[in-house]
Amino acid sequence: MINTIAYGLTIGAILYIISIGLSLTFGTMRIVNFAHGFVYTIGAYLLISSLPFVRNNFFLGALIAVVAVIPISYVVERFVIRKLYGVSIDYAIIATYAVALIGVDLTKWIWGASPIPLSDPIGMDISIFSVTLPMYRVLIIALSLVIFGALTVFFKKTIIGKIVIASLEDKDAVKSLGINVDKYFSIVFIIGSCLAALGGVLYAPITSVHPYMGMMVLLISFAVVLVGGLGNIKGTFVSAFVLGMVMAITGRFWGPAAETMVFVVMGIVLIFKPVEV
Amino acid sequence: MLSVKNIDVAYGRAKVLHDISLELEPGRMVFIAGRNGAGKTTFLKSIAGFMKPLAGTITFLNKNITGLPPEKVALLGIRYVFQDKRVFSNLTVRENLELAAYPVKEKISTAVEKVMSIYPKMEKFLNLRAGSLSGGQRQILLIGRALVGDPKLLLIDEPTEGLAAGTINDILNVLSMMKGKVSMIIVEQNLSVVGMLGDKVYIMREGKIVQECSDKTDITDKAKLEKFL
Repeated sequence: MINTIAYGLTIGAILYIISIGLSLTFGTMRIVNFAHGFVYTIGAYLLISSLPFVRNNFFLGALIAVVAVIPISYVVERFVIRKLYGVSIDYAIIATYAVALIGVDLTKWIWGASPIPLSDPIGMDISIFSVTLPMYRVLIIALSLVIFGALTVFFKKTIIGKIVIASLEDKDAVKSLGINVDKYFSIVFIIGSCLAALGGVLYAPITSVHPYMGMMVLLISFAVVLVGGLGNIKGTFVSAFVLGMVMAITGRFWGPAAETMVFVVMGIVLIFKPVEV
Repeated sequence: MLSVKNIDVAYGRAKVLHDISLELEPGRMVFIAGRNGAGKTTFLKSIAGFMKPLAGTITFLNKNITGLPPEKVALLGIRYVFQDKRVFSNLTVRENLELAAYPVKEKISTAVEKVMSIYPKMEKFLNLRAGSLSGGQRQILLIGRALVGDPKLLLIDEPTEGLAAGTINDILNVLSMMKGKVSMIIVEQNLSVVGMLGDKVYIMREGKIVQECSDKTDITDKAKLEKFL
């Protein structure tokens, strides 16, 4: 059971890292961004491609992968997302889904369709309160806490963060002060994309890397966002860990229902707390 | 200072403003009155850049601003104060002012002083969430926030709507203090307020300006103004 909880916390941590960008994009721009899954996948593949150049140093490879996603996400934002600001939400779904599909094919074309396994980059266990856990998973959980703290400080203390928080509430009022909101949305989008790529990088050694990995995780991330609240940093954090735990515990007793149960929980939450889009 | 010439504005295919023209001189306080749905807010939004006119021109300080995006219009010195007391409720009062000071590169302390000068009581609310303020305090914060960066023109939408009589007096004091220092176009349904402060009144009906009053006796004659609505 302890292992199940540790697995749940790891899944929760990764879900948080992936979902927070989605939540901010959804919350500020009102854009359902299916291309987020593509960035998650590409992060994992860029890690694989960079490893031979950094003598298989996972952490350096991870850094390269996350940084390399910046120009990719900028292109997606500049040429797809920016055209969708203020238009009907279904256009955004269709356009970003198209980007995701192109991304899957592009990935297959460059890296092939076969899953690529990656081993645990640390390969050591750690004992916490007489429970032995893989150090890599503890690191992922710790990293998610650091990201949560850093984002909380970013949104509370920096002017960019405050502009985004204000825009989540009233975009037009921010514009009326002379602030080019779209510029800050681009920054948020790129931060979110880097975090998605980081999620892909971190999850790669736990599962295998394949072209459809982003599509699978994306739907669960949407559930995290809807349960946690659009653009709600704290809510997304709590929701990611709760749903991660739901997946892990359900998976322990009935494997095939692990992902389904996430959507059951989402459905129950939405009955009592409908989302305003 | 501001010249609006023959603008037409539409929401999709539905035209809501027809051939509207208005002239504003520096330091003047002009009111726009009319019943709900007359097009008053749409008119202000068109000047502020939130609605793009189908036809006509808007010139501000000899610069054609027709169709400019709202953030660019704001940086030229036109500030739009929305109706419904739309403060950034998750930020503190000070942070609301910080956001207004940022694009115009004004010091936060100067921005705070500006609000204090029109409403000294705001000092004790500076570190509170703006969402916890009363309706009147929110409205004053919005007006104060709009004053950051020394704008040349304020567009204020329904400043006294839904406020109690005592609070309306606070708003009137603030507006009186600003009169002559900054030009203002104010949408207002309360004709007593219009009579007290207005230099000129435009009456709108069904997307058109149907009456223009600049004579003080006409402006203060509530019954006469009501006939035009």
